Amino acid sequence: MIIGRRFATALPAAFVAVLTCTFPAYADEHAGASGETEAPPPQVNLVLDVSGSMREKDIDGGTRMAAAQQAFNEVIDAVPEEVHLGIRTLGADYPGDDIAKGCVDSAQLYPVGPVDRTEAKTAVATLRPTGWTPIGYALRGAVEDFGDHEGTRRIVLITDGEDSCGEPDPCDVARELAASGTHLTVDTLGLTPADDKVREQLSCIAEATGGTYTAVQDTGQLTERLKQIVDQTADNVVIENPTIIEGSGDCADAPLLTAGVYHDREEFGEHRFYRVQLAPGRELRASVSVAADRAVDPDYGVLLRALDDTGRELARGSEAGHGRTDVISTGLRYPATEDAEATVCLEVSTSFSAPESVQRAPGLPVELTVDLAAAPDAPSDVAAHGLARGWVPLVLLTVTGLLAGLLWGALRRIF
Amino acid sequence: MPTPLPLLPFPAPGPATTTTARRHRRRRPALLALLTAALLLPGAAPALADSHEEDSGSATDTTDTTPAAAGTDFRSAGVIGEDRTGSAVAVSGDYLYWTFPAGAGRQITAEVSVTLPDPALRGGAATWQVDLYDGLRRRQPCVGGEPAATADPSAATLELSCTLPVIRPWADSWENDPLPGAYYLRLTATELPEEELGLPFEAEAAVSSRAAGGSADIGGRLGAPLVLTSRAGSLDTGSTDESSGSEENNGAEDEQGEEAVPATVPEPEDGWFAGWWTDRWAWTAAGGLLAAAAAIAGFRLVRRRS
Repeated sequence: MIIGRRFATALPAAFVAVLTCTFPAYADEHAGASGETEAPPPQVNLVLDVSGSMREKDIDGGTRMAAAQQAFNEVIDAVPEEVHLGIRTLGADYPGDDIAKGCVDSAQLYPVGPVDRTEAKTAVATLRPTGWTPIGYALRGAVEDFGDHEGTRRIVLITDGEDSCGEPDPCDVARELAASGTHLTVDTLGLTPADDKVREQLSCIAEATGGTYTAVQDTGQLTERLKQIVDQTADNVVIENPTIIEGSGDCADAPLLTAGVYHDREEFGEHRFYRVQLAPGRELRASVSVAADRAVDPDYGVLLRALDDTGRELARGSEAGHGRTDVISTGLRYPATEDAEATVCLEVSTSFSAPESVQRAPGLPVELTVDLAAAPDAPSDVAAHGLARGWVPLVLLTVTGLLAGLLWGALRRIF
Repeated sequence: MPTPLPLLPFPAPGPATTTTARRHRRRRPALLALLTAALLLPGAAPALADSHEEDSGSATDTTDTTPAAAGTDFRSAGVIGEDRTGSAVAVSGDYLYWTFPAGAGRQITAEVSVTLPDPALRGGAATWQVDLYDGLRRRQPCVGGEPAATADPSAATLELSCTLPVIRPWADSWENDPLPGAYYLRLTATELPEEELGLPFEAEAAVSSRAAGGSADIGGRLGAPLVLTSRAGSLDTGSTDESSGSEENNGAEDEQGEEAVPATVPEPEDGWFAGWWTDRWAWTAAGGLLAAAAAIAGFRLVRRRS
């Protein structure tokens, strides 16, 4: 009873202690989360090709330009409030034959920001098919339109032709822009689905930035796809952009990570190291996804290893595959076994390779997620609670009982 | 499960103030017994958390049964479940992701039906595939179903499915067994003729599960389901003394983190982990009863002869 009384007084005290420990932490976390998610609105920049070829009448019997204008009007009407929309044109102003002038013909039609629907639609209505198709140049301009905004940035490129300027290669430009740490994706919509070169170039741009390529068949599809992309951007605003880090070449001077999502770049054949502090009674969980953002060889793999400070392997995750893929991913878990806090090294390596012609730098995008959870409760027996199941243990128990009864009866008879 | 038990410390002082001191004293042993029971029963504390999360989960589920749109990567995956299907209007070449929760003791089957692009626009045979990944994005094996299929040029639809092995409540860290937590479903065209890129198609995804029964009830339990954080990370700037100090704080932060971020999956209806009950109790108890009966019968058999 004395123990019981102590319990009775200790318990509420313990509850209060736990509450005071957890609630301030909760309040802080929560405030931080809402503060972060509300801050940067997603930005979408529509880049429209207004080159001479947009005069062709091959979409639903109208010109490509008319189809694009109609789709733009509907998208501007339906754009969610929280999305900041901008419009940029390429090939809208210079009708001449001078390649030097034609290939720097890209201008901001509507600045990226909250949309004034009437103004935006009026601006779109003034466009007439005119000049060249400087896609690479326009992409660079489109990124500049965003300013130094921190949130999600999405470029939607609508074009009917391949880059008519050659240099810079729009695909390389897209990869370079995506790697410059701006959380950028480029979605491409091709108005000439039958043209192999256009498809190749546009799907390359999309692949390089983790975006999508659509072969537009009709006005309805163009409108739906544009709306879908804008809506998706609005929905995904709750997803925090990963923190950009740079892993080091060996464990000793690797960046020390806490739980969260990180983004890095890794070239072919490179190994990247990161460190995590692991307290006793905790489990380290790590997951890595490496994106194939360029034309890589068809067989590939990824390896994630957890090492201790002497380089001994603690856990590993590996995956291999072949065929078309966007990412290859693997993960590992490692419950702390030591009584003291230890530093665990994470090593990421891949077996991606590519033909000589493929650009090496910047490296492949790596998404690393680190999480720390309570350590698991390892079982003392494989079966739940060590309990038996099935006819064999039932018969065994019965026979054992029978033998014990017989023995007891026999003993009683003797003594 | 004794869900209300952990709540007792709070309501108890309320009625106590209105009663006499003697009654208070008389009630105390009973209260203490309940309290100790609440402490001793291993599932009591999680049960409180469970019921709380289930409430919030079901509240959102009842209001939203429209099919969830697919995401384009792991982190933007559309959240589906047994009561919510997924749908997608996409273009071939896209990678479509959905995510759903799964608890221990269940065997999950994911089914995807693809309405292929217009055969008139397609070039040749394309291979479509569903891949299932666990919460750590480790690819999981399909023990049943048809996870990959080749559509010949005239086919209009394609049915794919994948049945996972039974989800275990615990596994050694070097094993790849499916564990409770978030699962990801990815739909991909793994082999696609070049000219088929970017053509519109539609897909629908559904997830169902069956209870695996007592034969799959194994010991052990994960500390937390495999649901990775989706927050942006921050570098540890050196002063690690504070973070390593209190275990409760760390745990609370993890849980709140999951709750505050809507992209992660809700807890499944039956919970992440099965309760203490398994039909192994019945089998073992039945064995004990039979043994006792056999022992009495044996004893009487031998004694009657004497």
